[in-house]
Amino acid sequence: MLAVKDLDVAYGYARVLHDVSFRLEQGHMAFVIGRNGAGKTTLLKTLIGLLRPRRGSVSYQGQEISGVPPEELYSRGMRYVGQEKRVFANLTVRENIEIPAYASREPLGQALARVTAIHPKLGSLLDQKAGQLSGGQRQILLVGRALVGDPKLLLIDEPTQGLAAVVIDEVARILRGLRGRVSALIVEQNLAVVRHLADRVYILSEGKIVREISDPSEIADTRGMEAYL
Amino acid sequence: MSRGRGPWVATLALLPPEAAIGAAFLLLIPLISLHRVTDFMIFCIFVLSFDLLYGYMGRLSFGHLLFLGTGAYSAGLFIKYASPNPLLGVLAGILGAGLLGVLLGPAAVRATGACFALMNLAFNHIGFFLVLSPLRAVTNGEDGFGIRARALWLFDPAGKTSMFLLVLGSLLLVFYLLRRLTASPFGILIRSIKEDETRVRFLGYNTHLFKWLTYVIAGTLAGLAGTLGALNYSFVNPNVMDVQGNVGVVFACLIGGAGSLYGALAGGVAYMLISNFLAIYIQRWEIFLGLSLLVIVFRFRRGLWGSVQSTLEYARRFEEVRRPVAGEGA
Repeated sequence: MLAVKDLDVAYGYARVLHDVSFRLEQGHMAFVIGRNGAGKTTLLKTLIGLLRPRRGSVSYQGQEISGVPPEELYSRGMRYVGQEKRVFANLTVRENIEIPAYASREPLGQALARVTAIHPKLGSLLDQKAGQLSGGQRQILLVGRALVGDPKLLLIDEPTQGLAAVVIDEVARILRGLRGRVSALIVEQNLAVVRHLADRVYILSEGKIVREISDPSEIADTRGMEAYL
Repeated sequence: MSRGRGPWVATLALLPPEAAIGAAFLLLIPLISLHRVTDFMIFCIFVLSFDLLYGYMGRLSFGHLLFLGTGAYSAGLFIKYASPNPLLGVLAGILGAGLLGVLLGPAAVRATGACFALMNLAFNHIGFFLVLSPLRAVTNGEDGFGIRARALWLFDPAGKTSMFLLVLGSLLLVFYLLRRLTASPFGILIRSIKEDETRVRFLGYNTHLFKWLTYVIAGTLAGLAGTLGALNYSFVNPNVMDVQGNVGVVFACLIGGAGSLYGALAGGVAYMLISNFLAIYIQRWEIFLGLSLLVIVFRFRRGLWGSVQSTLEYARRFEEVRRPVAGEGA
């Protein structure tokens, strides 16, 4: 599904990612963990084309995607949910869902049903300005919006950051519902979420992948990962 | 719900907003003059076109007058050299401005913020000096030229009533089209571009294309305003695209409330009232205009229309809170 090879990314003279290589298999949910400043967000931004790698390649569904514009990646089934929880605040919740529905040519009714199915409360908030939603509702709307048009790959940056415990559970429940249906690469610091959802974990430290964990028992026992946070 | 309100209120509510707008401008005629109301409505068309670009898409242009001037010159030159038919002249004005938008758009919409504003200012400057000097043989330079469109059926461009009706019809049509456009998926998209263009690209849209289309539509409508202005005054000179005039449309949009078609109309009328009537009583009326803008920026950030909306919303909520709950007070 996604293959990253020897990726080097820099901001000016500051190298942020060094020789990053990994693969994400179809239907798998992989997590990238690491300390602040390790390069996790930079990695996602490079994958979606916001940053140009200095070296290396990113291939998606067997095709090189470096330099491909975001709208083209969208039409190929790739979706990105940033960590800022930025919905279109002055548009209604319905309008926030309409935008991807038109882009993916999914009937609006179907798109609305898809989003409200993951969190029924959004159904009663459709005509409310998205800016009036709580942080948790915004995050759920963003994830729901990314699901419009049957995506093949989700790239999600810190989906539970800054959320209350009860909302984290809700976001985790939604992500769990996606397992096996869609591939996902998720940047996350919350190991309680990671241990329940991950098929594979990549630990990023100072711009390098220093460890890859795929053994379910090792993923479930988070002690090995805690040292890297 | 309708306590204290007559059935006529319900009937009025069924009418399209264009009916109320038309009625409001008709009511202005006895207070000012027919010619002035025509002028006001032409300016309102121009403000509406600017509001699409700035209020809805978030692109502030300091050179929108270029399109108004292009419309005026295209119509004037067509009537002078090709055909005196006024409606064909209007068509030529709209096409001229629209074509200019098509040509300049790809370069302009790649810029944002101050760069977009200044790039348009530069285009406006170039246009102004082009009609002033290099194209003098055709445009008659700073003296401009008169337009003599011939009467067509019942429409006589020299008649004040004919012009009023043409401009009123144009304004209502423009308002209707923009109302539909801004409520359509296209409208949702340009409003989302205003909020966060990068994110719109991640939702699968080539935003340049939509910005270009909006730029062309805004330019075309400004061209219509210029065309109507040229016909109304039967005269065109470079002042119609003098860059300093851009201040007026920015003021009007902000005073009325950017991002609202009703706000654009309110701002257009307010600006014209201030600039037409205050000048009679106050020599340096522009000072008052500046002060009023300061008040709006600091006190009424959403402009006149936004403030009216906020007040109505506040009153509605107040009424909801005061309404007795069923069974209470029995």
